Amino acid sequence: MKLYKKEGNIVQILSFPNENVEKGDYLLIEDADAGKALIAQVIDVQFANIPGILEELLRGLPDGGELIQGEDFDPLEIAPHITYIQDASLLICKIRATVENESLSPSSSWLPSRSQSIIRKLPIPMLLKLARVDGKLPIQLGGTKDSSPLTIDASALDGRLNIITGKKETGKSHLSKLLISNLVGYKATVIVFDLNGEYLSLGMTADGKRNAYYDKIHVLTPSQNFRVALKQVNLHVLLDILIHALHLPGTSAREFRRIWQSLKERDMLNMHELGEAIRNWHCNQHVKDALFSRYYALVNSGFFTDNVAEATLLEECLFKAKEHGGAIIINLRNTSMIDRQIVVEYLLGKLVELLTSWKLKAVFLFAEEAHLYLRETYWDDIVTRMRHFGIFTTFITNQPDTIRENIYRQADNIFLFNFTNEHDLEVVSRAARVDAETMKSIAKDLPPHHCLVLGKVVKDFPMVAKVRALDIKTMGETRLFFTDTN
Amino acid sequence: METALPQRLIQLSMNSLKNVQNQNFQLIQQNLQATQFLQPIPLKPRKEPAIIAAVDTSSIKIGETSTGILIAIRGANIWKQNRHYRYIRLGPFILHITEENKKEVYNSLQNALNPSSENHQNPPNLQQMPTRLASLLERWLQKMLSKTLNNGIILFDGSLTSGTPDTPTKTMKEILETARKKENTVLAFSKMTNLRLNGHIITEILPTHKPPYMLEAVGLRAKPPIVLFGDVYVAKLSNGNYAFRLDIDKEIPLPQKIEAVEKLLGNDLLAQGYPETLRLAHILCTFTANEVIAMQHFITRKCGVKIINRPDMHRLLFGVFGKGEANS
Repeated sequence: MKLYKKEGNIVQILSFPNENVEKGDYLLIEDADAGKALIAQVIDVQFANIPGILEELLRGLPDGGELIQGEDFDPLEIAPHITYIQDASLLICKIRATVENESLSPSSSWLPSRSQSIIRKLPIPMLLKLARVDGKLPIQLGGTKDSSPLTIDASALDGRLNIITGKKETGKSHLSKLLISNLVGYKATVIVFDLNGEYLSLGMTADGKRNAYYDKIHVLTPSQNFRVALKQVNLHVLLDILIHALHLPGTSAREFRRIWQSLKERDMLNMHELGEAIRNWHCNQHVKDALFSRYYALVNSGFFTDNVAEATLLEECLFKAKEHGGAIIINLRNTSMIDRQIVVEYLLGKLVELLTSWKLKAVFLFAEEAHLYLRETYWDDIVTRMRHFGIFTTFITNQPDTIRENIYRQADNIFLFNFTNEHDLEVVSRAARVDAETMKSIAKDLPPHHCLVLGKVVKDFPMVAKVRALDIKTMGETRLFFTDTN
Repeated sequence: METALPQRLIQLSMNSLKNVQNQNFQLIQQNLQATQFLQPIPLKPRKEPAIIAAVDTSSIKIGETSTGILIAIRGANIWKQNRHYRYIRLGPFILHITEENKKEVYNSLQNALNPSSENHQNPPNLQQMPTRLASLLERWLQKMLSKTLNNGIILFDGSLTSGTPDTPTKTMKEILETARKKENTVLAFSKMTNLRLNGHIITEILPTHKPPYMLEAVGLRAKPPIVLFGDVYVAKLSNGNYAFRLDIDKEIPLPQKIEAVEKLLGNDLLAQGYPETLRLAHILCTFTANEVIAMQHFITRKCGVKIINRPDMHRLLFGVFGKGEANS
């Protein structure tokens, strides 16, 4: 390999066919005289612009559909040299760091010698060592292209905002499960908004047996084993549900507040009494109708109960998870959009309440396709306010444009699976932690189950890894029409 | 005798390259060129099958060493049969030519071509060596083709003029005699000519006549030692502004000459009035920049020569007005 050009933080390297370098690989450009080396990542592989190549190709053009048949008497065997030159490639590389005295700095301000520099592939384990991608809480994500393991540290997810994105069936949920199971293994509290019931069997092996996490996985299905009593709900949480999920107008919300206060003073906070109170409340008929319609929405959701004994499971699970680690899977499958919003509003409110009062230390929240249940104002809340309370969110989506730009800008880690759509890549490339060229170029060519890991978990050295297999029962498979009936 | 030439070339190539080991050589570039006169004869394409074959060679200087030059030569025979083109390409042969070995290299090749020849030419100067060695290879390929082909049309690049250092009279005579014995007709196309009529280049003063046709140039007298082995025509074989000097073996009767050109029209493509077979022969043996780099790579690897770029004094002194030394 030979250093050809450097423009800004892009270097172009001439590579020959036997050198076998691919997109995503890291190269070390060592200048022994300068005592420094550049670490550069290949973001694109192009044909080198060889003089006379067009003539060479034109000469070999078919004669009426077939190549001109002939015999070459090439006694000096020059042909392999011609092929060697023709197949030379130009590696477009992004400079990631400078190594000097075994320490890394992000500088790319110096120019290595073009004639004297030695360029070689930098094995990922060596890069991980140099970048000090290690820690006490390892999570083995999978293997890199050179078959070395890629291990991140769970603490790099702690207090961070993460995004897992990629098109359908590329392995996003699989990676989420891997992260969740490892976090649970390190006694973390994890909450999953499970839209398609994919995480329900996180505690089971592929052959249906209990795995090591079985006792730590708690599945809560709204209106079945996950219900709440009005007494457990703070007024502001219920108002949030009424205003944001059920679109209750401001005037009606004020009346509702009075009704609530009245019931609370009489220690009669339950659904039955709430219905009676609205019926007997002296107010404008339109307000009353508005309140009634929302009341019935709450009743019909089945999420609210007057039996306090039925409504203790969430807190029980959270406290159990606090002690031993655990994942609380909120099964939102078969739940209507309004009901999903009610559940999520309640849960987030409850979490903030428990975290504010230090009943919980922190939780890792995994939110699949959050745009389907998260109200607009929550996005900013999650990356700012809730983060300070100790809710560390991981968004999982195959529609990257449903996540706001400011979320990408503030994301600490991105796990990017294959995207072919330019628009999708454009959206993700707004992330502050990596340049757009790297993301667009590498993500397009990622095979299934391979992800480009960006951000703090890899100390800002983008790496491609094949996510390792998990012995977990697969759920959430798409129901098909043309299935074998035998 | 005939098959000895490639073997001799390989031997020469390897021997000459041995001398270049551990010498530095400088990269330079260069180009090649060619030469000549009139009653309108209308032509009709003859569709009866005939083999059309062509020969061309190419040479290039790929660098300089402290003692000489590194050159490459290559030749191609191409023929069209049953609507398909086939080829045999020889080379590239890379040679290191120095003042010391040029005579040996040149004479060895001449001997391989024509061992019975008594009056061997003196070797040319180093600058002329690439084209002269390519000419030797070209004559040998022409000889091979005229010997192996039966009842075909053989296309040469250039003219049938001999008595020049490039084309000894004896060699040309032998080639044409062999071709005649095998009932082949040799047609030589010149892309450029210096032949003039009333002060005008012959290919530029064409009568208004519907192509394809050819015009005979009469009254041409060559001064010794130049010998014209062909009758000279201007051929305009397709619509457009392209006409070429065409030399046809003098010893062939006129009807056979016309028949040969008509068979060419009926059996080969003639885009811009130039036979495709001859065009392909040229294309196949021409060196591309890519190949030059590959040969330099080969020499560096095989002979351990470290390539250095000698500063181009023209560029250095005249900047953008300097065309480069190869073009000076």
